[in-house]
Amino acid sequence: MTLVPVTYKGGIYQHDIVIDLIEDLGGYVVQKHVLAQEVVLQCFVPKDDIELIREISRPIFGEVTDSPLVGTEIAIVSMSLEIHHLPHPSCDIAEYVRRIGAKSNMVSLARGPGKRIAGLNDEERDVINEHDIAVYLMGNFETCIEHKMPILLRGIEVPVVVCGGPDKETLIKVVDPPVEGYVGGVGRFMRRTKEVDQLDKLDEIIGEITRVLEKRREDLAKDPLSVAPARLMNLIRERVPAILAVTSPTPLTVQMGGLRVKLPYDTFAPELRRMEIEDGITLGDIAEVVPSRMRDYILVRVLPFSETNTVI
Amino acid sequence: MLAVEYFEVECHEPVGAEYYKQITNDVLLDHNLLRVIEKLHISIDPKIPVFIAVGVLKPITTVVRVGDIANINPQEGKMTLVITEETYLASMLNIFWERFGKDRVEQPDRFTVILYNVQVEAKEIEAIVIGHPSESLHRDLIYALRCVAPEGFRLRSERFENGKFSFVASENTLMENINELIKAKFALMGETP
Repeated sequence: MTLVPVTYKGGIYQHDIVIDLIEDLGGYVVQKHVLAQEVVLQCFVPKDDIELIREISRPIFGEVTDSPLVGTEIAIVSMSLEIHHLPHPSCDIAEYVRRIGAKSNMVSLARGPGKRIAGLNDEERDVINEHDIAVYLMGNFETCIEHKMPILLRGIEVPVVVCGGPDKETLIKVVDPPVEGYVGGVGRFMRRTKEVDQLDKLDEIIGEITRVLEKRREDLAKDPLSVAPARLMNLIRERVPAILAVTSPTPLTVQMGGLRVKLPYDTFAPELRRMEIEDGITLGDIAEVVPSRMRDYILVRVLPFSETNTVI
Repeated sequence: MLAVEYFEVECHEPVGAEYYKQITNDVLLDHNLLRVIEKLHISIDPKIPVFIAVGVLKPITTVVRVGDIANINPQEGKMTLVITEETYLASMLNIFWERFGKDRVEQPDRFTVILYNVQVEAKEIEAIVIGHPSESLHRDLIYALRCVAPEGFRLRSERFENGKFSFVASENTLMENINELIKAKFALMGETP
């Protein structure tokens, strides 16, 4: 059964029918937002059953759309939190990827700006590496990008998409070591992205992120994970009641290869490791439960089939 | 940038120059500075790296009076001022307190000020000067240029006299010949520093 990421938008009235249907079909609801009279569900559903969900949600005016970024956590790496980069373009891009289902975190570097003085410390490197993909928002000058990219990419293990002012060909030429994706014509600017050409640029960034993540999904499919992170999320929600008391918008953040659990590591890591998933197999058997560099959260990295010889 | 007589951004990377022209335009527009700048020349060299902005301002002689920001409604024993623009409200209240005393000045809400038993004509109140926009111009201009300049360029040298200004920023120690460079940039606009 192939699960595909989709977004459901509809009225709050009778939306439980849709949630029950998704769960009965073997899908998972990753995030649920209730906005006044509207409900937005980000979920994984079986590919063959999308039409069925569309049909059943039609009488209650629900709408199902493809959301390739559902179930991913993206680091938007901004060179600083100064007015030079915020709210445009950093927030514009972070917000835009959120609209199509991604969980985006803005990672701002302590010494990101400048050419010679730019740097990346170990905490920033580790936080970026906890995400599925990093989107670097660079400036307008190719000289600076060429000079600082080797430093900013040092130790980064996740796929990277570089956005910058120069065109795509120039970025491909100057960024060393090469990265997985490039978007030209999106450097530093100080106006809101609302014109058609600016929105097209944002769509281009989404396209590039999607392309890179699809490739990562294909790589993961070759050696599948021992358990689907979305399933793990539901299990933790059932078995660890403390997660229900967390006020964060996403107490459990689904990633492509794991899960971020927003509970204190020291208190809850042993409980999570002991948590039984099925037939006596515990979470500790099929996943690494490690401390996150983001606050005192827990990071669950699901091991692939080749390491555990188990798929649940 | 129609209001500005001369506006150029010089850089050996044409794409970067175009972006910085747009950024400068947006920042100056946001800070309401386009109407006071007559000439502006920006030169950026990311290789050195250095950012130079030189310019000439239009003469500013206007002052802000009470009549510019409030409508006065004289009544029996009191005078009600309906505020239309809040920017100079604080300085106006200070002037009123000093002149009439705090017991005669009341502000029941954000947009209303009432003066009780003041022996002054409404026209005289309207003519009271409450602000000099040119006083904060230097500070606003430097702040705007800091927003325009690349963020890493934190070593700065600023000059503002006789309606002409220069702003130099770099991430390295500023070069010794910086005054000559400023002079050369002024010459491009047909001015002297």
